[in-house]
Amino acid sequence: MILEVCGITKTFSLGLEKVEALRGIDLALTQGEFVTVIGSNGAGKSTLLNVIAGTCRPSRGRVRIAGRDVTRWPAHRRARWIGRVFQDPLRGTAAHMTLAENLALALRKGPRGLGLALSHARRRLLAEALAPLDMGLEGRLNERVAHLSGGERQAVTVLMATLSRPMLLLLDEHTAALDPANADKVLEITERLVKENGITTLMVTHRMDQALRTGSRLIMMHKGRVQLDLRGERKQGFTVDDLVGLFRKVGVTDDELLLGQQPLKEATA
Amino acid sequence: MTLFLHAVEQGLIYGLMALGVYVSFRVLAFPDLSVDGTFPLGAAVAAALIIGGWDPFLASLVALGAGMVAGAFTGILATKFRIQGLLAGVLTMIMLYSLNLRIMGRPNLPLLGRPSALTAAMQALHLPPSWGLVLVAACLALGCKLLLDLFFHTELGTAMRATGNNPDMVQALGINPETMVILGLALSNGLVALAGALVAQYSGFADVGMGVGTIVAGLASVIVGEMLLRPRTVLWATAAALLGSCLYRGAILVALRYGGALGFTASDLKLLTALVVLGALVAPAIRARLRGEEA
Ligand SMILES: Nc1ncnc2c1ncn2[C@@H]1O[C@H](COP(=O)(O)OP(=O)(O)O)[C@@H](O)[C@H]1O
Ligand SMILES: [Mg+2]
Repeated sequence: MILEVCGITKTFSLGLEKVEALRGIDLALTQGEFVTVIGSNGAGKSTLLNVIAGTCRPSRGRVRIAGRDVTRWPAHRRARWIGRVFQDPLRGTAAHMTLAENLALALRKGPRGLGLALSHARRRLLAEALAPLDMGLEGRLNERVAHLSGGERQAVTVLMATLSRPMLLLLDEHTAALDPANADKVLEITERLVKENGITTLMVTHRMDQALRTGSRLIMMHKGRVQLDLRGERKQGFTVDDLVGLFRKVGVTDDELLLGQQPLKEATA
Repeated sequence: MTLFLHAVEQGLIYGLMALGVYVSFRVLAFPDLSVDGTFPLGAAVAAALIIGGWDPFLASLVALGAGMVAGAFTGILATKFRIQGLLAGVLTMIMLYSLNLRIMGRPNLPLLGRPSALTAAMQALHLPPSWGLVLVAACLALGCKLLLDLFFHTELGTAMRATGNNPDMVQALGINPETMVILGLALSNGLVALAGALVAQYSGFADVGMGVGTIVAGLASVIVGEMLLRPRTVLWATAAALLGSCLYRGAILVALRYGGALGFTASDLKLLTALVVLGALVAPAIRARLRGEEA
């Protein structure tokens, strides 16, 4: 098992009010699985990813990575095994630094020494890693990342998250802020890098069609619980309409489908 | 001419302090007020040791170490104990005020007739007194600048730069951003304390009040240098800090010499400096507003 999540709950206290973001999540991912995660707004998807990455401490439960209990490990220590990409393209890169410097930071995880960050050999290695993105970025290694477009930055972030070949990749709606053409491009790059490096992946997406098309397994979350876990042939046979039906069954009203979650409107329209 | 030489001399020695402020303010994006305490800390440690018979080079190195410890302390307050950055710096600064008095034993410690690292280096190299000091100061400042440039191109140094830019990313890459802040503040305050140690030896005394306004003077140097050179790389940014420091010291010397005629005194300098920094800090906002209203 690459990832085991056992009995995770998370309650946020906002003054007197309590928000139960996660109400008991059990999940196990085997090596090489590509799991897509869908769910209404506030279902707890981001919180689950934060708990796995260690940026949010669970109220209860354990997280194990490759058999090791990492529940009490700080995020930067787990990061050796985990790559992450967020929705906001600005979050994944350091804008004031060059493309080469950003990528060089991602070559290796863990504490740093006093070796030079960029050698000629490393520059060549980074250019070779950029070339398959097919965006002409290999010729822009010395440019500041701030000059890149959102799509380019997100593609670079995905590359950075996989460069050190982590065991686990966590993607949180990482194409949602991009225009459709760039979103498709970044998803394609993601799928290729995941496959090439055999990385176990958990991808949150708001697009049900994308969730069905991508990966080997689909999870639907609602109100802090896993409501549906589809694999293999069952997943292949599922349609967007089937998913919408399930959302209705767990109590997501048509209003919520239409108002609360715009992407569902797209999918059903 | 001598005014020019003095400005460069002082600008380069104080330039180490400007480099330190560049590290905290620009690289880490941490407005660190502890420099107002670590500058006189460096002076106090060096002066006390030199009077105690220590070699001035060794005394300056110990001062640098003391500054690093104090900087790390601020970093620990700000990260491990989650005290707001500004407050953490103020706490360190206030603690150092008392500590500096303890180290010196009294508010002002003269070093007249004692050996100084700067003049000792000048004599060892058989340089003439007229321009020898400028050369020693230049070698020292450029040496520190180049070492800093080199450091910021190592794996650790790039990680530190990324921390000021995007701590989330740094954490996701397996680096502890808290460690980076603590190390960076140690580096910054080490440089500032070294500057304090050298200024004490240069001017012949250490004074418990000599740190007041260090942060503002450092910011003024960094900002003025940036306005002139518009640096896009670390190499240019550190050069800008040194250039800014020389200009700033030059402006002070001019003001001290000719300001009397215009009716202002040395005590008005801090007000003027703060106004320069204020102007530079609000300029972008005003420019943006003007542009916004035009559009
Ligand atoms: N840091 C936080 N503090 C308080 N409440 C939070 C915090 N993070 C998330 N929540 C709440 O937890 C619930 C789940 O949020 P989230 O995991 O972001 O949902 P999703 O990503 O599925 O849209 C929401 O009700 C949200 O308001
Ligand atoms: Mg979310």
